[in-house]
Amino acid sequence: MKEDLLAAWEETYKKGQLTLWIFLSLKEGPKYVTELQESIHLFSKGTIRAEEQSLYRTLRKFYHLKMVDFSTGKGYKGPDRKYYQLTPLGEALLKSFVERNILLFFEEPLKALLLS
Amino acid sequence: MKIISKNLLLFAALLFVYTVLFRFGLSSLLTAEKYIWLWVIAFLYGAAIFATAWMTGRRDGMENFLFDAGLRWSLTTFLVWGGVSEAWFLLGLGARQESIRVVHITLLIWSGFLVLHFILFLVLRKRTIKGIYKSDIFK
Repeated sequence: MKEDLLAAWEETYKKGQLTLWIFLSLKEGPKYVTELQESIHLFSKGTIRAEEQSLYRTLRKFYHLKMVDFSTGKGYKGPDRKYYQLTPLGEALLKSFVERNILLFFEEPLKALLLS
Repeated sequence: MKIISKNLLLFAALLFVYTVLFRFGLSSLLTAEKYIWLWVIAFLYGAAIFATAWMTGRRDGMENFLFDAGLRWSLTTFLVWGGVSEAWFLLGLGARQESIRVVHITLLIWSGFLVLHFILFLVLRKRTIKGIYKSDIFK
C-alpha cells in the first residue's frame, strides 16, 4: 500500500521536473543529448529517466523560445553532434525558478521539517 | 520580432509579381474566351502563393497560421491582391467580362475573415509564447 502510494505520488511529482533537471545539467556545461540524458540520470540518482526523444522534443521547444542554444561539435565515429547550452535567458529563468521554488526548502522552518 | 521582416517583404514582392501575372493571364484569357484555361491559371496562382507563403513564413517562424506570422502573411496577401486588382481596373486593363464590383465584394468578404483572424490572434496571443501554448512549454 505505502509503496503504491509513494510510486503514484512520485510519478505525478516527477512529471513537471524534467525542465529543472535539464537546466541544472546544462548549467554544469554544454552537453549533447546522450550526455544530458546520462547526467540527469546521475544527478537524480537514477530517479529521473528521460527518454531521448522526449529530450529532443523539449530542447527543440526551448531552442525556439531562446532558453537554450547549441553549437555543433565532432561526434564519435559519426555525424556532428549538437552541444546544447543555456542562454542568458535560460540562466536567468533557472535562477528565478530556484529562488522562488527550491531555496525555500533550505530555510527554516521547512528545512527542519524535512530533516526531522 | 519585426512586424515587417525580410521574409515578409520577399513574400510581398513575389506575390505582387504572381498577382500581376495572374491578372494579366485572367484578362487575356477572358478576352480570348479561353475559359477552360482560367482554372489552370487560378490553380497555379493559388499553388504559387501557398508554396511561397509556406517557405517564407516558416523562415519567419510561422508554425501555425493563426498566430502572429500567419496574420501578417494573411494581411499582406489581402493588401497586395487588393492593391493590384484595384490598380488593374483603374488603369483600364480589365477584360470586358470583368467587373471591379467583384473585386470590391471579394475584398469586403475577405476583410470579414481578416477581422475574425485578428480576434483569434488576440485570444491565442494571451495563451501562447512564440506560437507555443504556455501549458505545453514545460510539459
